[in-house]
Amino acid sequence: MSGGNPTYPSFSVIERGLEPEKTRRARKVRMVRPDQGETTGQAVDDKDKRKLFGEVFLPHLVQAYRLARWLTGNAADAEDVVQEASLRAFRGIAGFGGINARAWALSVVRNTAYTWLLKNRSAAVVFTEDLDGAEQQRLERPAAEGEGAGTPESLLLAKADAEEVRGAIAALPAPFREVIVLRELHELNYRDIAEITNAPIGTVMSRLSRARAMLIAALRNTP
Amino acid sequence: MSPSTLDHDDGLLQAHLDGELDPASAAAFEQRLAADPGLRARYESLLSLRRLLLAVPRDDVPVDRLRSRIDAAVERKAGGHRSWRALAAGVLIGAVLGAAGTIALVRSDSGREASSLVVTNHIRGLLAPQPFDIASSDRHEIKPWFTSRLPESPQIVDLGGDGFSLLGGRVDVLGEQPVATVVYRHGGHTISLTTLRGSRTVSGGSIAGYNVRTWREGEFTYVAVADLPDADLDRFQRAFLAGLSR
Repeated sequence: MSGGNPTYPSFSVIERGLEPEKTRRARKVRMVRPDQGETTGQAVDDKDKRKLFGEVFLPHLVQAYRLARWLTGNAADAEDVVQEASLRAFRGIAGFGGINARAWALSVVRNTAYTWLLKNRSAAVVFTEDLDGAEQQRLERPAAEGEGAGTPESLLLAKADAEEVRGAIAALPAPFREVIVLRELHELNYRDIAEITNAPIGTVMSRLSRARAMLIAALRNTP
Repeated sequence: MSPSTLDHDDGLLQAHLDGELDPASAAAFEQRLAADPGLRARYESLLSLRRLLLAVPRDDVPVDRLRSRIDAAVERKAGGHRSWRALAAGVLIGAVLGAAGTIALVRSDSGREASSLVVTNHIRGLLAPQPFDIASSDRHEIKPWFTSRLPESPQIVDLGGDGFSLLGGRVDVLGEQPVATVVYRHGGHTISLTTLRGSRTVSGGSIAGYNVRTWREGEFTYVAVADLPDADLDRFQRAFLAGLSR
């Protein structure tokens, strides 16, 4: 992801028996991003949209909220983001490809959260993957000490309590926080995380690896 | 570890931890882990991090408030797109159909509808390769699985001693709500037990060859579905209630 400009995954539209004269419009619809599909209402009428929305987005409301909670950092913002995301999902419901509703719903929430943060909390959010020197040094230590038998990290880590862990996750820069939350708390696989974060699987893996190294470093250093 | 690239071992460590290796690579990596204490230490620290992450309590979700906010927002959105002409037609049709509509509403039996949805979920479960999303006979394993997917976990009672063995759990959809279903087995028959929050009207009886039994206990409404005679479901219900107070 490049400096504060989240990109959108593309999805293909469900073919719903469009008549020939409508195919040109349908092709246009196919290009619409899932959460920007203002024009899709022409291809799918309101009743169908509501039904699809109910089947595709609403069942994932709990996970949508929890993801938004982690991405925004507080409960009130998460509620606003979920409401905004549900509207985007409703407008763009025809852009749902009919394969993985959970990943689609969460990708809409994730994109909405970043747009929302840029608009309302731009100062508070770190979108960059560049770390400062101190962070970098902390990161490089676990590999150097990992083989030393003197300090078993597992013992030190076991002392951290849930609030410290929560704080350490919250302190991660956004690209690392989102992959660790999607993997460990939403239990999604690499393919789904790649789809939701619009990144190649290799990038997901290296971000996960670095997110874990940062968390281990942060939690090991707690007194 | 270099800042921007993933070294080969680290990639394997992550992929093995996340269950993303194919069985052959996983077995080969297990052997390396056993032989290499340094690698083993790195893996152990990743495992202990995972344990810490899993112990972080899941955030409470204000589901009802979210639903009403979303419903209102979608309603405004959908309403805003209607032309005045469609609106006028709607009013006219509404006036004509009003009386008939009221009668239909009174007649429609929402309790029957709910139980037939539960039966549909049960049938879908039986048609799938397995009737559950998590296979476990350990209620301490099923409970956190539900907690990570739903605002709250259902009561999970071990009825193995009563002849109803715990098979696992799945998340069903009822209307637009995800609901928890716990799956039991009794003499070759599968029982789906769906837990609904609050007091809900769900009618019992026979639907499409399946027996539905429903009861309320505390803050929940329970719906059990199986192709078992009523007497067996009655025994299941009594065992469940007895198990709850154990």
